[in-house]
Amino acid sequence: MGDLEQYTPAPAYGAQIRKDGEKWTLILARELRHSPEKVWQALTEPAHLREWAPFDADGNLGTAGATAKLTTVASPKPHVTETRVTRADAPHALEYNWGDHNMRWELEAVGTGTRLTLWTNIGRPFIAMGAAGWHICFDVLDRLLSGTPLGRMVGGNAVKFGGWERLHAEYAKQFGIEPPNWPPQAAQK
Amino acid sequence: MKIKVTTLHVYDQDKALRFYTETLGFTKKNDFSQGPYRWLTVASPEDPNGVELQLALNNNPAAKAYQQAIFQQNQPAIMFFTDDIKGDYERIKGRGAEFTMPPTDVTGSTIAMLKDTCGNLVQLTQLAKW
Repeated sequence: MGDLEQYTPAPAYGAQIRKDGEKWTLILARELRHSPEKVWQALTEPAHLREWAPFDADGNLGTAGATAKLTTVASPKPHVTETRVTRADAPHALEYNWGDHNMRWELEAVGTGTRLTLWTNIGRPFIAMGAAGWHICFDVLDRLLSGTPLGRMVGGNAVKFGGWERLHAEYAKQFGIEPPNWPPQAAQK
Repeated sequence: MKIKVTTLHVYDQDKALRFYTETLGFTKKNDFSQGPYRWLTVASPEDPNGVELQLALNNNPAAKAYQQAIFQQNQPAIMFFTDDIKGDYERIKGRGAEFTMPPTDVTGSTIAMLKDTCGNLVQLTQLAKW
């Protein structure tokens, strides 16, 4: 599982939300210490996604028109949805759907690294949860590409992790929404 | 091994949450989302650590076909037990629920049936005291 015990997520940062009526979009940007080509591979290849993403893909996501099944990982029941890649401009832009969530990724070379930006629509009740979850996923991704993996931390495994509640509350505060009530008291042991 | 969670398919999770909490009186227990997936459960305030009812979004064609078929046959998708079916009937009706069967004596119990607003019939049962 790598150096999980030494991992403390940074405070909430790099997130914006855009509101279009009831439709809210999370925009999360990160500077990764790796080239766009390397990051592209991690975003599109099933064997790489399996190391950091909140879903498994049964096919490569790197070609426009490609379809694959995405399966949630570490959720109480696996949830499978069909996706279709609508844009794949390697190593710059990638778009596909995850169920009813649109996933739009942009990769921009910055020095020897990559500025990675994710746009995804998430309902207001869960947008802070989504930001906290992707925050941790991006940390896991950056360490993975550095060859010092933390181990995938998604779904229930992310929630159990000690830094979760703080991060979730910080994003909720930044977005001006009510503080999260997850996990429920009974689950805190 | 214990029976801890049972799943009910609903076509709208927000609407189902309102029905099962505000109309029926259960309490929200778990509400967690991961991408398009939402794990939503309610429990009875009379048994908060008892069996949880998962309100699962019905996006599965097989489950949809089953749900619609049993609804058309007037079959309940789920059954709850109460010690006061007449009182519950009045209270739940007062909150706007649509009953398809008022409390009715049957062998060994009194039952009532109502719509959950999300594609299911719910049966309330009070066992007869012998």
